[in-house]
Amino acid sequence: MDRISFSLSSGHILGLLGPNGAGKTTTIQMLVGITLPDGGAVRYFGQDLHRHREACLQRINFSSSYNMLQGRITVWENLLVFARLYRVARPERKISELGAYFGIAQLMGQRFLTLSAGQKTRVNLVKALLNDPEVVLMDEPTASLDPDIADRTLSLIESLRESRNLSIVYTSHQMDEVTRICDEVIFLDHGHIVAQDTPAGLTKRIKNAVVRVKFEGQQQEVSRSLQARFADVSLPAQNVVIVSTEEHLVPQAIFTIGNSGVQILDIDIRKPTLEDVFLQIARGNGHVT
Amino acid sequence: MSLERIFAVLQQEFYITARSVEVIVDLPFWSLITVVVFGFVTRFLASVMNPTVAQYLYLGTLMWEIIRVTQYSMSLGALWNVWSHNFSNMFITPLSMREYVVAQMISAAAKSLVLFAVVASIAAFLFDFNVLSMGLGTVGLGFVNLLWFAYSIGLFILGVILRLGTRIQALAWGLVLIFQPLTAAYYPLSVMPPVLQSVARAFPPTYVFEAARAGLGTPEINWDYAAIAAAENVVYFVLSVWFFDYMYRRSRQTGQFARNEE
Repeated sequence: MDRISFSLSSGHILGLLGPNGAGKTTTIQMLVGITLPDGGAVRYFGQDLHRHREACLQRINFSSSYNMLQGRITVWENLLVFARLYRVARPERKISELGAYFGIAQLMGQRFLTLSAGQKTRVNLVKALLNDPEVVLMDEPTASLDPDIADRTLSLIESLRESRNLSIVYTSHQMDEVTRICDEVIFLDHGHIVAQDTPAGLTKRIKNAVVRVKFEGQQQEVSRSLQARFADVSLPAQNVVIVSTEEHLVPQAIFTIGNSGVQILDIDIRKPTLEDVFLQIARGNGHVT
Repeated sequence: MSLERIFAVLQQEFYITARSVEVIVDLPFWSLITVVVFGFVTRFLASVMNPTVAQYLYLGTLMWEIIRVTQYSMSLGALWNVWSHNFSNMFITPLSMREYVVAQMISAAAKSLVLFAVVASIAAFLFDFNVLSMGLGTVGLGFVNLLWFAYSIGLFILGVILRLGTRIQALAWGLVLIFQPLTAAYYPLSVMPPVLQSVARAFPPTYVFEAARAGLGTPEINWDYAAIAAAENVVYFVLSVWFFDYMYRRSRQTGQFARNEE
């Protein structure tokens, strides 16, 4: 990691994105103190993490699809141990409350290793909230979950942010998740920040939208009219044209096709997504400006 | 240092020990089999040779259990969490490594004390071999010195595992066996070649085993041997704490600490 610097406001969700090996997980590991940076500092609430480790870690927590709890003992026993590590007052009551909220009350007597991926995620979320943290770091919490459980997990995270004013650092490979829940996104590549903005701000940096139009009429006329005004025009099939152009020129492209004496049957506009930003970075185009 | 967090680790240790067949087999089952098998071997040897000499083997076997159980508990306690991908999770809480190690030392001492009491009782009732015949003081001082030596070995192994990862986890079981021949656990120091005797004197258990064998005949505390063993233990423990701290720091600097669970 090299010169990574960012801050997180109260109640905000910051997404860390990047291809494999970009440094997302390493960043999270440094943020929780299990990997030491060789320079710089991690600060929570104005305090240096390494000088005030106990005070900082008492107010933050962590959830990951990769870090499990002790598999051989029950969910209740695991949560009781973690509640004591956080010196939670009345730990049994706290675990029961959170267990009811996340719908895992019936799992308390089961060994952790016997749970499904979705159940483990919910137990991990209970663990992550035992100490009423102000900051939660989440490393791909929905990885290996089916879409329905992933969606419910995201809804839980959204409601937690609302109800507890939680600040969250969130890593994921799922662009739609990040677009949905993050207020700000940092793109990492080879240990560097290559882009940092809101999800909408990042997608606006990708200029091109793609318009696919199906029509009835003279194909040559459509092609000639478009190629006079747009650089990237293709005809992948009979009576189908695709124009790749800047987003604000999309209406002009459609207008040009309509004025070519053809009848438009179908229009499909694909605006830039966070995935396009991700692919641009992953394919080595570097900074997205 | 928080007593509550130390208690939390002890509580987890209790749950794992009670629920893991592997731990039950590695600790009480192994100890029970050992005390019974060597009890019969000693009974047989005592019938065909000098009974006191035959008892040396049994005495060494029983006292070696203190080292084995303590070192196993120290090193394996962490591995159970590494294998469950839970070890780094614990250090994302305010739990410090010192609190964790202190909890492991308490847990190891408790397991060692209970199992030594059990095997010593079985030896007394089934095989007519009373370890207390060498004197309560010799047994007590020997226990503490063997315990402390096993702490040092356990810390050393734990440091190596944290730094190099689970690919060398076999050390957690195997490394301590190097000291079995070198500390004259089952035979008098005098039977070893002079060079190996010098090596043996560098290890605290050698003095414990020598004092214990002498105690079978004359139940008096050998204060000189107890003091030498204690002094050596202080050196080994200080070195192992320094080594462990260094390896733990390097493990976090290189990212190995987090990678251990990948």
